[in-house]
Amino acid sequence: MKVIEIKQQVYQQNDRIASELRAEMKQRGTLLINLMSSPGAGKTTTLVRTLEALRGEMRIGIIEADIDSDVDALTVARAGAQAVQLHTGGMCHLDAFMTREGLKALNPAGLDLIFLENIGNLLCPAEVDTGAARNVMILSVPEGDDKPLKYPQIFRVVDLVLVNKIDALPFFDFDLTVFRQRVSALNPSAQILPYSARTGEGLGAWTDWIRAAAAQWKRA
Amino acid sequence: MHELGILFNVVRTVEDIARQNQVTRIAALVLQVGELSPVVPHYLQACYPAAVDGTLLEGAELKIEVTPGNALCEPCQKVFNLRASRGKCPRCGRSQYEILSGQEFLIKEILAC
Ligand SMILES: Nc1nc2c(ncn2[C@@H]2O[C@H](COP(=O)(O)OP(=O)(O)O)[C@@H](O)[C@H]2O)c(=O)[nH]1
Ligand SMILES: [Mg+2]
Ligand SMILES: [Zn+2]
Repeated sequence: MKVIEIKQQVYQQNDRIASELRAEMKQRGTLLINLMSSPGAGKTTTLVRTLEALRGEMRIGIIEADIDSDVDALTVARAGAQAVQLHTGGMCHLDAFMTREGLKALNPAGLDLIFLENIGNLLCPAEVDTGAARNVMILSVPEGDDKPLKYPQIFRVVDLVLVNKIDALPFFDFDLTVFRQRVSALNPSAQILPYSARTGEGLGAWTDWIRAAAAQWKRA
Repeated sequence: MHELGILFNVVRTVEDIARQNQVTRIAALVLQVGELSPVVPHYLQACYPAAVDGTLLEGAELKIEVTPGNALCEPCQKVFNLRASRGKCPRCGRSQYEILSGQEFLIKEILAC
C-alpha cells in the first residue's frame, strides 16, 4: 500500500479551469455573465426581454442549466438566442467543468455575450467559480427584502443585483431602501437595479449595464 | 445535492493525480473537512457511492478527517471551539475573534493498492 499525498483544495482544479475559460473569453471578446437566482425569480423571462432589447445589436448565446429539461432553452431560442441545454442531473450549482461543456456545445465564435442561466438556488452557486466574467443575481419582490440576511454569501460575490417584479411592489411589504442598505452592508460595490420583466419598467438600466460591461470586456 | 457536485470535483482531481502516478487501484481516499467549511461529512458519505460509480474511485473507502473550528478571542486571547461555544468566547463572552482552523476542505491523500 502506497500513500500519495495530495493536499489540494477541492476547488483548486475548478478554479484553474475557470481562469482558463475567462482568459479564452477575454481573447474572443465575449462577455460571459453568470445569472443566479431562486427558482421562479425571473431568469428566463428576463433573458427573453434582454434578447428582444438587444436584437440586432449584440449576438447572444445562452447556456441553460436551470432545470433538466429543455423548455427554457427552447423559450430563449425562440427569442433569437443561440442556446444549449446542459443536463445537470439534480445538481445544485454549475461549476467551471460544466461551463466548459456548455461553451463547447454552444460554439462561442462570433458571440458578443453569453448568459449562463445557473441552477435556481441562492446557496451553492455563490461558492463556485464558473469562469464567468460577471456575476449577476436576480431577487424578485415576492421573495422579500430580508434575503441578504438569510443568504449573505451570494450578495457578497455578485457585481449586480437585479430586483425583479417591481410591478408587484404594491402587494408586498418589500422595502427597497432597507434592501439597498442590507446589500451594501455586505457588498458596497454591488450595483442594484430594480425593474419589471413583465412591464419592461427599468429594463433600460439593465441593458445599459450590459452594454458598458461588454465594451469594457472588449477593451484589452 | 450540494455534496454530490463537490464530490465530482474531488473525483476528477483524484483521477488526474492517480494517472500521473500510474495508480490503477485505489484503496482509500482521505478528505480533510473543517467544521466551519460548507460541507457536511455525513452527506459526503451518503453521496459518495453515487459520485464514484464507474470511476477509478469505485470501491475505494472514503475517510473523512474533521478538523476543529477553533478561534482566538481577541480581547482575552483564549483559544476556543466555535461550535461548542456557539460563537462566543467561553471566558469573556464576547464574539470578537480570529479563526484559527476549521475552514479547510482538502483532498489530503489517497492510498494506492
Ligand atoms: N409579476 C411579475 N411576474 C414575473 C416577472 N418576471 C417573471 N415573472 C413570472 O415569474 C414566473 C417565473 O419566471 P421565470 O422567468 O420562469 O423564472 P426562472 O425560474 O428564474 O427562470 C413566471 O410565471 C413569470 O411570468 C415580473 O417582472 N413581474
Ligand atoms: Mg428558468
Ligand atoms: Zn474572550
